[in-house]
Amino acid sequence: MSFITPYFTLPKFTYYKPDSISEALSLLKQHNGKARVLAGGVMLVNMMKERIALPEYVIDLKGIRELKGINVTESGVEIGSTVTASELQQSDIIKKFCQPLAKAASYMGDKILQNSVTIGGNISIGMPSTDGLPALMSMGALLEVRSADSARMLPSSDLVVNIGRTNLRSDEMITKIIVPNAAESRGTYVKFLNASEIAIATVAVSLMLVQKKLRIVVGAISAKPYYFDESSIGWRWDENIKENIKTVADAIGSNLKPISDAVAGSEYRREVSKILVARALKELFGGT
Amino acid sequence: MRTIAITVNGISREVTIEENELLLNVLRDKLGVTSVKAACWRGECGLCTVLLNGLPVKSCMTLAVEAEGKEVVTAEGLYTDERARKLQESFVEHGAMQCGFCTPAFVVTSHYVLSKNPEIDGDDLKKELSGVICRCGTYYQIYDAVMDARKHYRDKNI
Repeated sequence: MSFITPYFTLPKFTYYKPDSISEALSLLKQHNGKARVLAGGVMLVNMMKERIALPEYVIDLKGIRELKGINVTESGVEIGSTVTASELQQSDIIKKFCQPLAKAASYMGDKILQNSVTIGGNISIGMPSTDGLPALMSMGALLEVRSADSARMLPSSDLVVNIGRTNLRSDEMITKIIVPNAAESRGTYVKFLNASEIAIATVAVSLMLVQKKLRIVVGAISAKPYYFDESSIGWRWDENIKENIKTVADAIGSNLKPISDAVAGSEYRREVSKILVARALKELFGGT
Repeated sequence: MRTIAITVNGISREVTIEENELLLNVLRDKLGVTSVKAACWRGECGLCTVLLNGLPVKSCMTLAVEAEGKEVVTAEGLYTDERARKLQESFVEHGAMQCGFCTPAFVVTSHYVLSKNPEIDGDDLKKELSGVICRCGTYYQIYDAVMDARKHYRDKNI
């Protein structure tokens, strides 16, 4: 987080508030490269104040009903990209089927900002501090990415390229988040904050009961979250899980390359990550 | 430039704004609603919190055009609500302020929290109020004031 004194006014822009996804996408195409979509505004408005983002056109997505719902379908749980962090925490569907996401949403900003923060905005800015992305990656979520001329499914683990850089083109936006096989999964999300409430590390864990697949994601320690499953840590969830928690945490810790900065050193972030992995697994499976 | 209609504290207002103006500036400078305080300008302190269609939002993070056709309620607008008046009295009784700059935001936020759940207590209440910062550090008194005011929100007769 930078402490540059913000300008108290925003740069000039033209404001659009479309009613449908197709209208928003055609505006994005028409003003390709000069337009930004506005969802909750928590990131974009501050980036405009600091002149980090200088869009000539701002496309407000809050008037689009299609981007709002949380539904259970054949393909899994579908979440509209402008669903807010408060709505995620209150949704019975999310609480039941997407436990890591419900918990991650409770960490996004403070209680007031959570009425504004959207899941799409939280992940698509591409900041390492995102709570939404590790949770979605642990659940193997897919992102429906659309432009005026194309639509594709992007695995959530392929979204972020580097700090502030994503695989989204300037004429594309995330319209929907799909969590496959959500009904057969359970999981959790844990986070460690320092005294200034800056994340040292976050860990999301998700277990697919039918395929017996365990996914562990460690976030906030590098440009993009680290993803681990059985193949990457060489370990199966049903082999006396309770006794193996420390082994798994150590195996994950030795595979991390956390950054060092003024907030925390690399080794400290690694130790915290190991402890968080162990905490999350204990919460899920019990044991010591 | 465009003219938008906003209901502010129960009164329909028309105001001419620039598209890049923040709701905070429009409320304070154009509509004269000065209980909404400007402090950090980046969504951290919560002193500019207003209820937008019933939900607390930070008005320094909200464009004024986003409020078009919506209802804004600030501390001034709570005078019509008997429960909120009792809540404000509770702030006074408990001395829940030193300089008072954060008080309107705490009143608005705690009014929303108590209307939603008058049984709230402990860490849940502290978490719900975490979006507003008091630089004088009167958090204990604010907590006591809100805890004490819960009885008014349980009373269905008010």
